[in-house]
Amino acid sequence: MQMPSLELLGQSLLSGLFIGGLYGLLGLGLSLSWGMLRQINLAHFALAFLGAYLTYQLSEHFKLDPFLTMLIIVPGFFLIGMAMHWMFAKFKVTPFNSLLVTFGLAVIIESLIQWIWSADYRKLESPYNDIKFQVGKLFLPLPELMTLLIAIALSIATWALLRYTHLGKAMRAMSENPKMASAFGINEPMLALLLSGAASAFAGVAGACLALSFTLAPSQIYAWVGVVFSAVMIGGLGNPLGPLVAGIVIGLSEAATMAVTAPAWAPLVSFSLLIAVLLLRPGKV
Amino acid sequence: MKQAAEPSRLLSVESINVSYGDAPALWDLSLHVNEGELVSVVGPNGAGKTTLINTIMRLLPVRSGRITLRGEDVTRMSATQMCNRDVSIVPEGRLLFGQMTVEENLDIGCYRSLARPRRSETMERVYALFPILKERRWQLAGTLSGGQQQMVAFGRALMAHPRLLLIDEPSLGLAPSIVELVFEAIGQIHRSGVSILLIEQNAARAMDAASRAYVLEGGRIVTEGDPQQLMKQPAIRAAYLGEAEHPV
Amino acid sequence: MDRRVIAAFVVLVPLLAAVPLLKLPAFYETFLYLVLHWIVLATSWNILSGYSGYFSFGHGAFFGVGIYTTAVLSGKLDWPFLSTLPVAALVAAVFGVGLGAIVFRLPRLRGELFGLLTLAITFVIGTIILNTPIDGGPGVYLSAVPVPAIGPTPSGSFYLIILALAALVLWVAYWIYTARLGSGLFAIHDDEDVAEVQGVPTYRYKLIAFGISCAFAGMAGGIHSVFVSYVTVGEVFNIVVPLNVVLMSVLGGSRHWFGPAVGATVITALLYAFTAGDFAVAGRAAIGFILIAVILFMPQGILGQLLRYWRKRAAPKPLPQPLPPAPIPRTGQSGELILSVEGVTKQFTGVRALSDVTLQVHRGEILGLVGPNGSGKSTMVNVITGLYKPEAGRVVFNGTDLVPLPSFQAAHAGIARTYQIPRPFASLTVLENATLAGMFGGRQLSRSQAERQAMHWLEFVGLAERAGALPTELNLHQRKFLELARALASAPQLVLLDEVLAGLTPSEINSAITLVREIRNRGSTVVFIEHNMRAVLELCERLIVLNYGQIIASGDPRKVIADPEVISAYLGTPHETGR
Repeated sequence: MQMPSLELLGQSLLSGLFIGGLYGLLGLGLSLSWGMLRQINLAHFALAFLGAYLTYQLSEHFKLDPFLTMLIIVPGFFLIGMAMHWMFAKFKVTPFNSLLVTFGLAVIIESLIQWIWSADYRKLESPYNDIKFQVGKLFLPLPELMTLLIAIALSIATWALLRYTHLGKAMRAMSENPKMASAFGINEPMLALLLSGAASAFAGVAGACLALSFTLAPSQIYAWVGVVFSAVMIGGLGNPLGPLVAGIVIGLSEAATMAVTAPAWAPLVSFSLLIAVLLLRPGKV
Repeated sequence: MKQAAEPSRLLSVESINVSYGDAPALWDLSLHVNEGELVSVVGPNGAGKTTLINTIMRLLPVRSGRITLRGEDVTRMSATQMCNRDVSIVPEGRLLFGQMTVEENLDIGCYRSLARPRRSETMERVYALFPILKERRWQLAGTLSGGQQQMVAFGRALMAHPRLLLIDEPSLGLAPSIVELVFEAIGQIHRSGVSILLIEQNAARAMDAASRAYVLEGGRIVTEGDPQQLMKQPAIRAAYLGEAEHPV
Repeated sequence: MDRRVIAAFVVLVPLLAAVPLLKLPAFYETFLYLVLHWIVLATSWNILSGYSGYFSFGHGAFFGVGIYTTAVLSGKLDWPFLSTLPVAALVAAVFGVGLGAIVFRLPRLRGELFGLLTLAITFVIGTIILNTPIDGGPGVYLSAVPVPAIGPTPSGSFYLIILALAALVLWVAYWIYTARLGSGLFAIHDDEDVAEVQGVPTYRYKLIAFGISCAFAGMAGGIHSVFVSYVTVGEVFNIVVPLNVVLMSVLGGSRHWFGPAVGATVITALLYAFTAGDFAVAGRAAIGFILIAVILFMPQGILGQLLRYWRKRAAPKPLPQPLPPAPIPRTGQSGELILSVEGVTKQFTGVRALSDVTLQVHRGEILGLVGPNGSGKSTMVNVITGLYKPEAGRVVFNGTDLVPLPSFQAAHAGIARTYQIPRPFASLTVLENATLAGMFGGRQLSRSQAERQAMHWLEFVGLAERAGALPTELNLHQRKFLELARALASAPQLVLLDEVLAGLTPSEINSAITLVREIRNRGSTVVFIEHNMRAVLELCERLIVLNYGQIIASGDPRKVIADPEVISAYLGTPHETGR
């Protein structure tokens, strides 16, 4: 263990902050569908990667600006999310079984990705990759900065919607007690479809951000599962700001660990935090 | 006007049979509530009172029989449709949205399109009725005491601008002094023009408040009529306490 | 134990052991190795997760622990390969039992949360191994480890080793399936709280199942490490192994000892066929579809579905001969204290359900416990039977305080109860439900004895013809009587009947009352919790009234219900200014 220089530490923490933002963005949709719809969606990660690959494809081959690809991805994924929830509702899938069914979906999506794009690594080369801002001695790469800003914006927007709008309050009431909510005029099936659609749309956005910063391979899908679940659980299910805050905490801790010890110790942080939360947090998550 | 106008039927329940799961809960049950009345249904625990209220609110399906509201057949309708027809419920156990604040719970009450425009006006009236709620409007509903939660439940139902209010066991689990307040509020709500169907285990209080009462036992109506007369009959003590050794 | 199963083992195992003599190409021997390898992993996983319902997503962790135990011992310390296998099993088992000892104590860590926790453990252990000299990063090479020449070729030898392990795992899974441990685990699967109250030592059983499951995973890992001859943390400690075993067991049927083996064979064959035919990707997609289809349409899995089909066609099994029970041991005189509840207080968040309650139950009496809704009657029953532990007070049964003991001891001491809303074990037949009570209750009967006792009590309550039915096929009345038969099958000294009469018609109520009297006459003491006052007055010799968690009256039933305080507790007090 050797103490790195202040600049190195600072840069490390900064990248921890950025990746924390991505954890938060990935976790946002997952937290919403788990906390409010009681569906544990393992396919969320596969969907995100699908979004990433689509961004890559539209950018590389159709020369579309990566950020504009979101205009196509968001509505498309919204529909996918609605379709998924419709299926769960139709077959009355229990929360536990949703874990297994979405695993099946994840496998299917992963196979689709591999079939279309093969298992080779794909990297989106965009002009954004080279843009860096400089603040003092620290560098802020544009893609990562954009990811963080998008994560913050979406989390706050979701939080505000749930907190202040009639629709948001109806969704919260519905997730607590659907029957009582219906007795006050809340159309539960419609709202559930909207929520599910939004969660998947968020997955698509996260995927686009992923494509900007990371090299893509189908094998990478599951690498994110553990750490994002940690962020979701630590942040509290259904809390829109939770995954972002927890994600940043995890990202910073990982970065600090990596800077001070070896990079390979980083996963220990998120999983130990998750275990601690599961064991120590009183009452239900 | 010496002669009272023929009271108009607000709610009419005709020979309904309801099962809870596969256990029959209500047998061939009929009752009605006229416009402007406060009707009580009393009976021991397990008699089927909550099943009855939930069925009227259409939260439970009806095996056979009919329910009409102002003449309209509502037997196959949903709870949301009942809400849109000016029926509101104060359920047993309050069933508030505990993770939401007092004011947010009231907001949910006026979610339906007819009630929403009058939100501020109605909320002022609710706060006038239950001043303590105004003090605690930002508090999470789940952290309130039982009595305060009961008030929120009433407030929420009132926000929906009901013409018919279904109240299920409002005194359950509440200390006697709070029960006092609750029944006072019920009286005020009734006097403001809302028709009420009140389900209660506490027969004495329920009879006091009502102009007409039914006694429910084992899923059936065993007797009905003027509340004061009913209280004098051995039938009611028998329903609750078995055979009465001596009259009241 | 079924003779046909034993015969199958005795015949098939030697037959399969002869396969290497066929000198098949390595391609096929490798395929057979893989099938058996996954059979071991899926079957061992199922022992805890399928039987008890505690779905672990960490099977990969214990598999990995076994891999690295052998990797270190054989690869780095030059131990002979076979001798590392028991060590791999032991190390994995120790990890499993250690984890279980903590986690199984926490009732909120069931279901999805248990799955997540076990998944997290996988990555923690993997990271630790990666960063310590155990692996350190580059992985461990095992190609230099000599493989014992049990078979004509190395792949043949591996085949034989894994065959031996698979036979052992299947045997153990079968044995557990038929033993008390299995019955207890299946009960835990359906309703853990009720199982505990029936006398199943849930904590102990879960630990044992988990330990066995991890041991086999560890051993499979030890074998596999030398088979692949090069191991890395990334390849081992990931989500693939746990998801595969879940998939295989669910597909094959997780409630049966052989189900995972069926699933493992099907999936491995599918994957192998597709990989061989260059359609690997399509193969994986197909598996995804299969999993979804199975969960939605065939939740019992392939084997489960087949068994249901065969059972319907097969002649019904003959029912056991009923056996009247030995008389309830009268460990004391009639009239003396059997149960003494002393100063019990039970608090939930914001509500004090019971406040310093003291009551006594005399041997041989029928005691009525009544009170309005919310007065604390059900809480009292839950405290006496051990489901809740009180904040203060003692529950002294036959001289022993039950409060400091684990909950299942109440059943062993001779206490039984029925539930207001019947809670039978949904996947067990009527007979199996009643048998379980006899096996785990006060008398700890063997299965065959418990079955005969169960038949006796089923006849007593009139359910004998429905012995082979599942609880969902019964109506409410029958389910209530199943509750009763189940409570009686454990030959309890004290039986608590929680609102048995709710929902019954008047004539059904009359037969129930006769039954309750009969129960007392046969030697059990009865506490009767009811709202139906007519029945209470007819049956009970003494009455205790609860209100707001406190006793407000006790004594002769007719005097008690005339007590003004009792009347106002039930009917309410009239308004102050009332007429």
